[in-house]
Amino acid sequence: MSFVTILALGLSLFIAAPTIAHLLRRGRAREQPFPPAALVPEARATTRERRSLEDRGLLLLRALIILGLALLGAGPLVQCSRVALGRTDGASVAIAIVVDDSASMRARLAGEKTRFQRALEAGQDLLASARDGDAVALVLAGKPARLALAAGTDLQAARRALTELSPSDRATDLATALSLARAALTSLPHADKRVVLLSDLAGELPAEPMPNVWAPLPELAAKIENCGVVSAEQNGTRVTARVACSSEAAARARTLQLVGKDAKSEARLVVRGGIQSLNLEAKDAGSVSVELSGKDQNPADDRAEVAPESRSLALAVHADSAREAVATGGAPLLEQALHSLAIGAPVRPLSELPREAGELSGVAALFIDDPSGLTPETRTAIGGWLEGGGVAALFLGERAHDTQLGATLEPFLRGAVDWERLPSGGGADPTTFAWLGVEAQSLVDLAPKGRSRLDTALLPGAEVVGRWSDGKVMDARQERGRGLLFSVGLPVSVETSDLPLRPGFLALLDHMVGEALRRRGPQTSEAGTEWWFPAAGSLQVIGPKGPLTQREADGQRLVAPDVTGRYAVSLGGRNETRFITLPAEEVLATPKGELPATWRSPRAAGAPLVDASPELGWALLALLALEIATRVLRLWRERRSHGAIDPALP
Amino acid sequence: MNELRSRLDWGAFAPLRLRARSVADGVYAGGHKSPRKGSGVEFGGHRVYVPGDDLRYIDRHALMRHGELLMREFETETDRDLWLFVDASASMSYAGPGSLGPKYGFAALIAAALAYVAVRTGDRVGLDFLGGEGARSVPARAGREAFERVLGALEDVTPSGDLSQQPELVERALSQAQRAARRGAVQVVLTDMLDLPEGTLDALAGLTTRGRSLQVVQVLDPAERDFPFEGAVLLRSLEGSTSVETDAALSRRNYLAALAGAQAHVKRHLVPRGGRLLKSVTSDAPEELVRRILNPNVEPSG
Repeated sequence: MSFVTILALGLSLFIAAPTIAHLLRRGRAREQPFPPAALVPEARATTRERRSLEDRGLLLLRALIILGLALLGAGPLVQCSRVALGRTDGASVAIAIVVDDSASMRARLAGEKTRFQRALEAGQDLLASARDGDAVALVLAGKPARLALAAGTDLQAARRALTELSPSDRATDLATALSLARAALTSLPHADKRVVLLSDLAGELPAEPMPNVWAPLPELAAKIENCGVVSAEQNGTRVTARVACSSEAAARARTLQLVGKDAKSEARLVVRGGIQSLNLEAKDAGSVSVELSGKDQNPADDRAEVAPESRSLALAVHADSAREAVATGGAPLLEQALHSLAIGAPVRPLSELPREAGELSGVAALFIDDPSGLTPETRTAIGGWLEGGGVAALFLGERAHDTQLGATLEPFLRGAVDWERLPSGGGADPTTFAWLGVEAQSLVDLAPKGRSRLDTALLPGAEVVGRWSDGKVMDARQERGRGLLFSVGLPVSVETSDLPLRPGFLALLDHMVGEALRRRGPQTSEAGTEWWFPAAGSLQVIGPKGPLTQREADGQRLVAPDVTGRYAVSLGGRNETRFITLPAEEVLATPKGELPATWRSPRAAGAPLVDASPELGWALLALLALEIATRVLRLWRERRSHGAIDPALP
Repeated sequence: MNELRSRLDWGAFAPLRLRARSVADGVYAGGHKSPRKGSGVEFGGHRVYVPGDDLRYIDRHALMRHGELLMREFETETDRDLWLFVDASASMSYAGPGSLGPKYGFAALIAAALAYVAVRTGDRVGLDFLGGEGARSVPARAGREAFERVLGALEDVTPSGDLSQQPELVERALSQAQRAARRGAVQVVLTDMLDLPEGTLDALAGLTTRGRSLQVVQVLDPAERDFPFEGAVLLRSLEGSTSVETDAALSRRNYLAALAGAQAHVKRHLVPRGGRLLKSVTSDAPEELVRRILNPNVEPSG
């Protein structure tokens, strides 16, 4: 704050001047010696009344005028509640506005305004203070964080994009959002780059402080009492709901009720914070929704649709258990590796390869280790299952070289595959496995005893996704209908290589399982989960707010429902119902309000300053007009009073 | 003596000796006719005989012609006493904002000028005070010495005292004058007519007996005439304990009306008994006021 500003603000002390003058005037009247005092009529009441009423109003007016002048003089550096962009030496600024559209932002502040609405207001205020040449990017912090508007100098587009935002039931993903925001500003030539975080900060921040991040809305951290229905599932006539409460007070005197035709069951919440499960008894299997009684500061999460009990998609494994057991003393390595991923999906061992597609019902991914070919029945069963969105992985070992009569490796590979011994060892080319992440480095010195030669067996359309260090194909993938096929040139056997023991192997399995779950699509998932669908065939997803927008990515179609409720999915004539639930942490997480002290940087902080001179100018004009009106009114009253005096003679 | 004199700020009315002579020089200084009717050379009119009248002045022609007893009266050039009564109560020390001096100073100047005129025409001059610290009455005497004694007495007085609480002061001065003043004496009372005790008007009216004339000169400050105050004021009288808090703008009209009413009240008492009320303010020209006092036919200008 400059000396001029302090000096201008110091003018406000002159408010005391009319106050003192008024106090002096409020005292006794001026005393005058006057011999004929007895001839003067007393008018004390009138005098005091006039002083006390009119002068007090004038005092207030004049004090306001002085205050207004002081603020006007101090502008534009007067701090006010409106968020605005401060700038250094008038230079242009590049800002990335991170708007948190997570479920916790639906909470109501005082005055019935939600946190999200306040954040949007702050965003609009920021844009209002931006000038030509300033660059703005817009990032959404609901999980997964998204770039809503790439950085650009079109402020009108930024304002429009901001107005089009809507709240969601997503979880909070501040770390990714901040990374996105920073990345969005990287290529800009501006020297002054800032990230404005319009969030209640009810989420994890990155461990390392990021420079020039400003969170100007500490009021969003106001503590609220809230309970929300996280999910509700029905099994038979029993409805099990999970309810999260931010505190004991929030759960007090509240019940969960079944809402639907003839549904009267209800259960009282346990008075404690955290997550609790409640059981309700439904009359039939067609319950609609559950609802919390009473009101809290986030009514948006008090109701949830009841989903049928989720069918967990299984991972099927076909491995030579007899041979593997010798090495592990238990389940085959492939099974154990899948268990170690801890994804919650059951792993189902298959003693024999399926002969009918129905045997793969409920299976999301099929892992086949070192088969000696696939019979025509198996090929047909797997082919049909793949069309429905299955993911199959084939690990090829020495046995694939000796396929049985009538057996092939289709639909993975064409014909038979040669087995090649590698006495000198060798390893994978990590650059071709970069999609596995850092774990790809663990495949460099693999040194297997042999490998399957996939080069000559690849089907048309197959994509090589991993190579040996000598350029030969190690891993290939191929789309088939909604499904996906993986072919790996090594078996899951420690006798051939230590591939199953390496992190790269687990990363490979994780990728395959992830693809499977993504393609199958879970019946129940949290808001913000992306649903992937094949590009072919008609697709329509209708949610609580109508049809969802689809977008293309990686040759597939993508839908991202972000509001809790029931969704009708129609894909190629096949219909299914999916449910989006509320992330529990959005109820339980405590808003922080302010960034940690280590995050605050001089440039980002202290910028919520605004030039309110125009408004102050108008206010001053209004006050002056009021002053004149008061004086005129006073004069008129005086004249009327004089006229009303009765000149009574003594 | 000097200390007492210094207690009053005479303002523009000092030095009294020079100012009084200056005022008197500006006034007509010729002989004046005595209002006393009696033996003389110039016929002064008839009146009805009353028992006890000197039979020498019965108009025989009128008796024979009309059969009525009428007495012939004559005007005569004769010496007349001038009695001055100066109000020296506390209220006379008042000098309003911007005035030339206190009311007492103006009253003393008028009194001294009258005394000078009287002495120059050979009349006798007496002086007495209504209240005042250091007041002493001066018996009626003629000659330059009398003028000096009047001046000394006027200068020695400091206005003080509350006449409303000390009616005996008024009573003493007026009753003494009633005894001492001869027939045909001219009596001039210089007062502000404020805070006078009850019965003062009757006592003044008593001075008009025995052919004596009475002129009451009300001396006011311009502030008392115009009430020039603004805003809320607390007005405190100099005599008594009257304090009035008021809004000047609201009260001005009523005050002026009350003052006019009080003056009318005084007139109603004096005029039927031969008295006369002259209104003046300290900003008036003293020569003009003295001329009005000496010549009853001179009406105030403006």
